[in-house]
Amino acid sequence: MTVDATTVEVIKGALIYAAEEMGVALRKSAYSPNIKERMDHSCALFDHERRLVAQAEHIPVHLGSMALAVREGLRNYQGDLDAGDMILLNDPYISGTHLPDLTLIAPVYQEDELVGYASNKAHHVDVGGKAPGSIAGDSTELYQEGLIIPPVKFVHMGRIDEGIASLIRSNVRTPDVQMGDLRAQIAANNTGIRRLLELVEEYGLETVNASMGAVKDYSERRMRAEIGRMPSGVYEARDLMEDTGYGDEPAEIAVKVTIDGDSIGFDYSGTAPQVRGPVNAPLGVTLAGIYYTLISITDPTVPVNDGCFRPVTLHIPEGCMMNPRRPAPVAGGNVETSQRNVDVLMRALSQAVPERVPAAGPGTMSNISIGGLKRDGTPWTFYETVGGGSGGRPGSDGVDGVHVNMTNTMNTPIEALETYLPMRFDSYILRPDTGGPGEWRGGCGIERSWTLEAPNATLSILAERTKIPPWGLKGGGYGALGEYILRRRDGSVERLPSKCTVSLEEGDSLIIRTPGGGGYGDPLKRNPELVLKDVLNGLVTLEAAIRDYGVTIDRVKMVVLIEETDRLRASSGA
Amino acid sequence: MTEGQESFRVSVDVGGTFTDLVALSKESGDILNIKVPTVPRNPEEGVMTALSRFLDGREPSSIRMVGHATTIATNALFGQVDLVLPKTALITTKGFKDVVEIGRQRRAEVYNLFFSRPRMLVERRHRYEVEERMGPDGSVLVPLSITDVEEALKDMEAEGIESLAIGFLNSYANQSHEEEVLRMAEEHLPNVRLSASSRISGGYREYERFSTAVVNAALVPIIHTYISQLANDLVASGVGAPLYVMQSNGGMATAKVVSDRPVTIVESGPASGVIAAAWLGELVGRPEVISFDMGGTTAKAGTIRGRVPEVVSEYEVAGKVHMGRLLKGSGYPVSFPFIDLAECSAGGGTIAWADEGGALNVGPVSAGANPGPACYGTGGKEPTITDANLILGRLNPQSLLDGGMPVYRRNARAALEHLGGKLEMGVDEVAASVVRIANSIMSKILRIVSVERGFDPRRFALVAFGGAGPMHACPLAEELGIGEIVIPPNPGMFSAMGLLTADIFHDYARAMVRRAGEVDPAAIEGLFMEMEGEGRETLIAEGVETVAMRFQRQLDLRYLGQSYELAVDVASPFDSEALAMGVEAFHRRHKDVYGYATADEPVELVNIRLRAIGMIPKPQLKENKTSSGSVAQKDQRLVYFEGEERWVETPIFDRRNLVPGAKIGGPSIIEQYDSTTVVYPGWILSIDKHGIITLRRGGE
Repeated sequence: MTVDATTVEVIKGALIYAAEEMGVALRKSAYSPNIKERMDHSCALFDHERRLVAQAEHIPVHLGSMALAVREGLRNYQGDLDAGDMILLNDPYISGTHLPDLTLIAPVYQEDELVGYASNKAHHVDVGGKAPGSIAGDSTELYQEGLIIPPVKFVHMGRIDEGIASLIRSNVRTPDVQMGDLRAQIAANNTGIRRLLELVEEYGLETVNASMGAVKDYSERRMRAEIGRMPSGVYEARDLMEDTGYGDEPAEIAVKVTIDGDSIGFDYSGTAPQVRGPVNAPLGVTLAGIYYTLISITDPTVPVNDGCFRPVTLHIPEGCMMNPRRPAPVAGGNVETSQRNVDVLMRALSQAVPERVPAAGPGTMSNISIGGLKRDGTPWTFYETVGGGSGGRPGSDGVDGVHVNMTNTMNTPIEALETYLPMRFDSYILRPDTGGPGEWRGGCGIERSWTLEAPNATLSILAERTKIPPWGLKGGGYGALGEYILRRRDGSVERLPSKCTVSLEEGDSLIIRTPGGGGYGDPLKRNPELVLKDVLNGLVTLEAAIRDYGVTIDRVKMVVLIEETDRLRASSGA
Repeated sequence: MTEGQESFRVSVDVGGTFTDLVALSKESGDILNIKVPTVPRNPEEGVMTALSRFLDGREPSSIRMVGHATTIATNALFGQVDLVLPKTALITTKGFKDVVEIGRQRRAEVYNLFFSRPRMLVERRHRYEVEERMGPDGSVLVPLSITDVEEALKDMEAEGIESLAIGFLNSYANQSHEEEVLRMAEEHLPNVRLSASSRISGGYREYERFSTAVVNAALVPIIHTYISQLANDLVASGVGAPLYVMQSNGGMATAKVVSDRPVTIVESGPASGVIAAAWLGELVGRPEVISFDMGGTTAKAGTIRGRVPEVVSEYEVAGKVHMGRLLKGSGYPVSFPFIDLAECSAGGGTIAWADEGGALNVGPVSAGANPGPACYGTGGKEPTITDANLILGRLNPQSLLDGGMPVYRRNARAALEHLGGKLEMGVDEVAASVVRIANSIMSKILRIVSVERGFDPRRFALVAFGGAGPMHACPLAEELGIGEIVIPPNPGMFSAMGLLTADIFHDYARAMVRRAGEVDPAAIEGLFMEMEGEGRETLIAEGVETVAMRFQRQLDLRYLGQSYELAVDVASPFDSEALAMGVEAFHRRHKDVYGYATADEPVELVNIRLRAIGMIPKPQLKENKTSSGSVAQKDQRLVYFEGEERWVETPIFDRRNLVPGAKIGGPSIIEQYDSTTVVYPGWILSIDKHGIITLRRGGE
């Protein structure tokens, strides 16, 4: 059956809207700040053959994994799913990210006819395991990272399976919050089901099915047109995870991108084998990075669905860090390795389309999880990620203090945290001289620090770029490294590694300093007035203006000394 | 004023293209409409032009009240029309000067590698940190350093700062440090305008509260100048009537009040349309309506329940909108009640185009007033929604504005033919497709304001206005299952009409984050009384009589652990019973909005809100006493209806000739000066004694 183009367009809009509305329902009724404030979740609709037709723009790292979870997670439920059932899973070797991401999938039936699936994925604040927040930096097996949920029928004929619910409750640190969030996930799927059925009612199943097919074909055409415009060729790049959370050894990600007409291939041969530490990236995470990069450097208005990814061919050897075998630990794959993956992909593609690719961003999400008991004995957990500087870009500076690439979660307001948690914040501020020098400066990193106000707590850090800084492009300099400093109550100071779990006591402070972005282009070509503006605003020091940019500024009048600058730049350039 | 002289209430709505003036005669109920071009750089000039046209031959003293809606605040924040923002500074807690820059650390567009934050309203070098710290319970952890403040103020003087925002962490729980800085700044910098975060918004969440103070600070000098200029011009032309300005919450405030709190008038214009819809709904006995306003570049929707428009307590001004939703992080957050609108790029001038995948798209680019739709013959080459409507026979094929503006069908046809060529569609098909796709986009904003908020649209009537609203109302109502459409007498001037129907509002809030079970009702009653005192004082200063004052009390509540609140009304005086009823109302509202309620979960109080209202008498519309039920048809032509997929010979009527009691079946078209109403097949039109059109489906 063919459907007229206008009807397809109308149904396409309605499908995207339905996925968005699922997100609204999830966010509004969720309990944890993770979902409500930080929006660490995604919602999607699938056709009856389990192919993605619409995904709401939430968290890029869920891009590839949502499709995988629905394809793989329902494998054993073919013919065994009824209206009102929902499948829950978090096994990263099936659902593609890490244990805290719980995926909930619901079939959509019109009478006995399968229309498709509604699905959503949300990051829960804790799923058990060795450390509060379930993102320990030093796990060596998946089993240490939390409760593993294979695909189970969590909702049966519209009712929660109390056995499964109580199993989950017994394995997590904040069971009430988890259950609140799971109820919100159910509400989100119900919204998706309702909207999809309304479409079927209005247009008929045959038309909706045919339109879903046409929508995917449309995205494929758009994506092929975009790829076709990029110069064909082979582009290679590599970059390192500075360590793996188990020992100090770095691990390399290597990619070879082949653009051939309107198709594009990604080959990860040469990437390090899977590692003992928790930075292995399950396939879903690796795919998410590829899709994110592709969409960002082409046209973000192409509707995201199965069709966009048809022009893509993959070679990701099983057993490598980017496609590990069970039971390698993966907590950091989603949140750290995913960032490096994009760094590598962007670096490769910057050779093909330099005008579209920024220098490296912070390359880490700076994951901080903490928890313990409050003074009154009640348990608490908190998880957050901290932004950094985005890379300088052809024609514009990087953005200061922002989330880059695979994450886009919001911070939690300090006033909210101080109301509920035994923490007192000491700073939340940009770090001067951390943006990589360039004609277009990299963004500055963030300093965020707080003091513990409970008897004790367990802190986990999972981060990167404390040894190998974000790179610049076209002559731009490196962004500054990140650092994590523990100041004990007695005043002693200790620099923490980028992946660790440590015990804190009352009065201890953590100072988080995130990396800046790399610079773009030769810093000696930067407009001296822009350097002066940065100096006035305290983002670049007078010393760095001279050292990195060859710009001399009169310290009293605060104006650029043009002749001296020209002289300095001429001698530096030579 | 001499005995027997006619007296008027006048309103002026300054839009992007036109400045609309509506004058209502108190004695006769007659309404006069005047449209003049907007003067973007000096909007008060357009206002005065319209006013002097109205005054032609009339006494200035016949004007009893002037209502005003303006987009000047939004224009200033968007950096438009050469409005230079003042040099603004911020004093904040040591260690936190970048809270206003980092914001929520999110980028507004996830896949846009070239995104930028909106321009900072306070440059980093003008953010001053001082030693001080409040705890979340309002306890002083670090006392305010007077020396730090003095140094900062001294530096500000040297820097030529014009406006200052003050924002300290946890100041919602204890404002004394902000108050102390206010006092010192008043003394040291008498010419600098001051905006303290705890006074301007009082809300909880530091970024949003600081941002509100900063936006206010950046706007005060501009709005002050504009309002004084306008007030002076009015006085100079002999108009002594008070000037009221529409706020984003849908209430009016006197010019003086908004000059100090301009953050309250940012969405002045769009709010008046919704207020007008609420008034019209009440007039026709429909307290629950969805307002649908389709103009030249955008369409906007809002909901009104029980005569009250839905509001949100926070909004991002000058932000980007995508598919009806604001992109979080693209604008400047303001914590202040805003009439909750969903907006999309679908207006008469919105351009249709074909993309590389072979799909037809409508918007977001608009041909605006210049070059305008192809059919205007003013240089526009791209096909727009207006061109599609013309080709489909909905618009008069010769001219618009009662013959005041010729249209060129062949230009519209050429533009659509070109587009159809890319899509392998004929002209009729492509024109019908443009309308269908535009309608599908607009149906989303109607869904956002109804279904997504937990309201069943079938219970609502649709109030359609704006030049293009009545043309698209039928298919949109059908899509949402709405059975009744109400169209005001002058749809194109309806927002200005809203200014004559609004009351005076002043909103106050105090944050108190505490479990509902642990609050002391007496303490809350104290806060309510404090805010009521402030409100009463302001209303008295505005000349409102005690009998016309109303005070509405609300609590923002949530389940413990949630981070968004729902507002519920509570009784006065506030006691433990009022609290219990409020909590119960919260459970019900939660069930309405989110589909579930958990009665055994602890409920938490977040904010205490008070609205002080000064009631203004509602306008009385003139009644048409003509009793003849027959209506003369003016013309007929072929009109394409996309649902029927065919051309239908359709009668055309002139709205001026419609008399009360008349009933006209669809398909039919009603033409008038500022709008065209398309009655689809299956709908029946009736008109009441006030000239208000009601369309009912299937003639129910």
